[in-house]
Amino acid sequence: MLFGKECRKIFHSLTYIIYCIIVILMLTTQYFSDCAEKEYRPVRGEYDYGETIIEDHDLVMSNATDDLTTEFLSNRYVCYPFGFYKAVQLNDKKKAKIEKYIFEITGLDSDGIAEKKNNSMLYNFTDGTHNYSEYEIDGMPISDTVTYERFKEIMSDIDDILGGGSDYAVDSLVFRFSRVPMTYEQAIEEYDEMMENDRISGAYARLFSDYAGFVLAIIPVFVAAALSAADRRHRTSELIYSRKTSSICIIFTRFAALVTTMFIPVLICMTAAFLQILSLYGTKDMDMTTMFTLPSFWLIPNIMTVSAVGMFVTELFSGGTAILVQFVWWFMSMMTAGAAGLIGRIEKFTFVCRHNSLYYRNEFIGNWDNFVFNRIFYIAVSLTAVVLTVFVYEFKRGGSFNGIRLFGKDSIFRHKA
Amino acid sequence: MVSGCLARIVYSDIKHNFLLHYLLALGILLASPVFFSLSELDSRLAAQPLEAYVPLIGIILMTPVFLPEQNESIYDVVCSKKISHDIICALRLICSVVIVLAMTGAFVLNMKYSSSQVNIRHYIGSAASALSLGAVGFVFAGVSRNVIIGYMASITYYILNFAIGTKLGNLYLFSMMHGSFAEKKWILLLAAILTASAFLLRKVIRIK
Repeated sequence: MLFGKECRKIFHSLTYIIYCIIVILMLTTQYFSDCAEKEYRPVRGEYDYGETIIEDHDLVMSNATDDLTTEFLSNRYVCYPFGFYKAVQLNDKKKAKIEKYIFEITGLDSDGIAEKKNNSMLYNFTDGTHNYSEYEIDGMPISDTVTYERFKEIMSDIDDILGGGSDYAVDSLVFRFSRVPMTYEQAIEEYDEMMENDRISGAYARLFSDYAGFVLAIIPVFVAAALSAADRRHRTSELIYSRKTSSICIIFTRFAALVTTMFIPVLICMTAAFLQILSLYGTKDMDMTTMFTLPSFWLIPNIMTVSAVGMFVTELFSGGTAILVQFVWWFMSMMTAGAAGLIGRIEKFTFVCRHNSLYYRNEFIGNWDNFVFNRIFYIAVSLTAVVLTVFVYEFKRGGSFNGIRLFGKDSIFRHKA
Repeated sequence: MVSGCLARIVYSDIKHNFLLHYLLALGILLASPVFFSLSELDSRLAAQPLEAYVPLIGIILMTPVFLPEQNESIYDVVCSKKISHDIICALRLICSVVIVLAMTGAFVLNMKYSSSQVNIRHYIGSAASALSLGAVGFVFAGVSRNVIIGYMASITYYILNFAIGTKLGNLYLFSMMHGSFAEKKWILLLAAILTASAFLLRKVIRIK
């Protein structure tokens, strides 16, 4: 059977063995070491309970306007496009646009802003080699005519003016500007959420998926690229091309074999994670299925997408190009996810979904619709990529196309005599 | 005579096999302002692009040294020639290392010109990270005779630095971001050992 043959081929490949080692190593050094101890109910007054995010529109508008005015007055906006620090300075035209928006939000004119500035303390900072001064603006008024919807539109424009990655991006507003210190009661509530609503395993399943998803957004490409390139490498392409089996059967079987085999070490780790939480908490309050269902729904689309895109780019170009494409995608996703915060901020097209905590269930559930859409979307993307791979493979089989080669004698960069 | 022959080999190799890699590495460095500021950074902020971004050129330039002869038919033809295949690969490696050092140097100078607090330590640290990432890819690609495994090893090493960070101890690539330079000598030593042992390991270990 073709599926069995493909699976055996993958099991015997060095890339697959390294893949298994990496998945197990990553989860052991991160998830299993982080979750080695049981979580206990918070004790009153013993420590700082951290922060919580509440969706308070007034608080968002007030804090964001204070920060915007502060940065406007020093003409220095700190942004993190792709997770790296970037200090943006605007030209006069763009500064005028920001000023116009501040007037609209606050209802103040330039004299009003100047008055606020004069009543504020001036602080000197050194950032890198650059010395600058910043007014500590606090308590900017918000005009009654500005609704939260209009405020979001303005913030979106401002984020565009700054080149993206600023705190004013609409998706960041609540996360950045609506944080309050967590009280003891809220800490207890978070703990109870984990014990009662998540029934323990839900919280651990999220953290497991977060750590595993980080790796599974890149590593499967190596196995997929190696398998797709293996025929050419072992000079068996022509032999396979001449067989009766259809291209659709070969490619879909190969894809199914890749996804199945690459899910096996993840499943083994899932089982180990389940046994670990069973040994910590016992079976009494535990949901016995979530540790398997949620990570499967979270991680299988990652494996599918990376494998399918890897197969497609390898067939079209080469294994190296597939790795480069996937690495760029992974790098940008990781940096963007890092800049957005690692707690439950899952959007419709976020490739690497992150929730790096056992707590903050409500933040995750608040994005549940996005999460479901997202995972189904990536399943669709992967199937589309597999169909495209079938077309490319069929063309190659027919002899009318031999892939786009960047190196070697068929290179597109080589001059033909 | 011999040097002329070697020069022709290097020229031909760069033209047919490595020009794209050099251009890609250059493209990566030129794209850096899209991702972060390079001007007016202090010592630690300057380490961010120099450790997390610039060293990627090591993977691009050093991992594919054995790629042109990865196909066994080509390898057999090359081995039948008078000049040893190892010498050709050593020449390619030297070219790649020189380009890594030159590109890193140009990047550091550009940052210095943009009023960032960078010095010779930043240059050595960034180059050491690039060379060690490249050396990991180089040795794995050489021993396995499969460049994909080389990329897999070097990218895994890179990911490990994000994932488990300082737990890597002396092999931590991003140490300058945390104000430490001591790890760099170990990283440089790792790069030297891996690079030097790759040719020997290729003869000893034969993975099919």
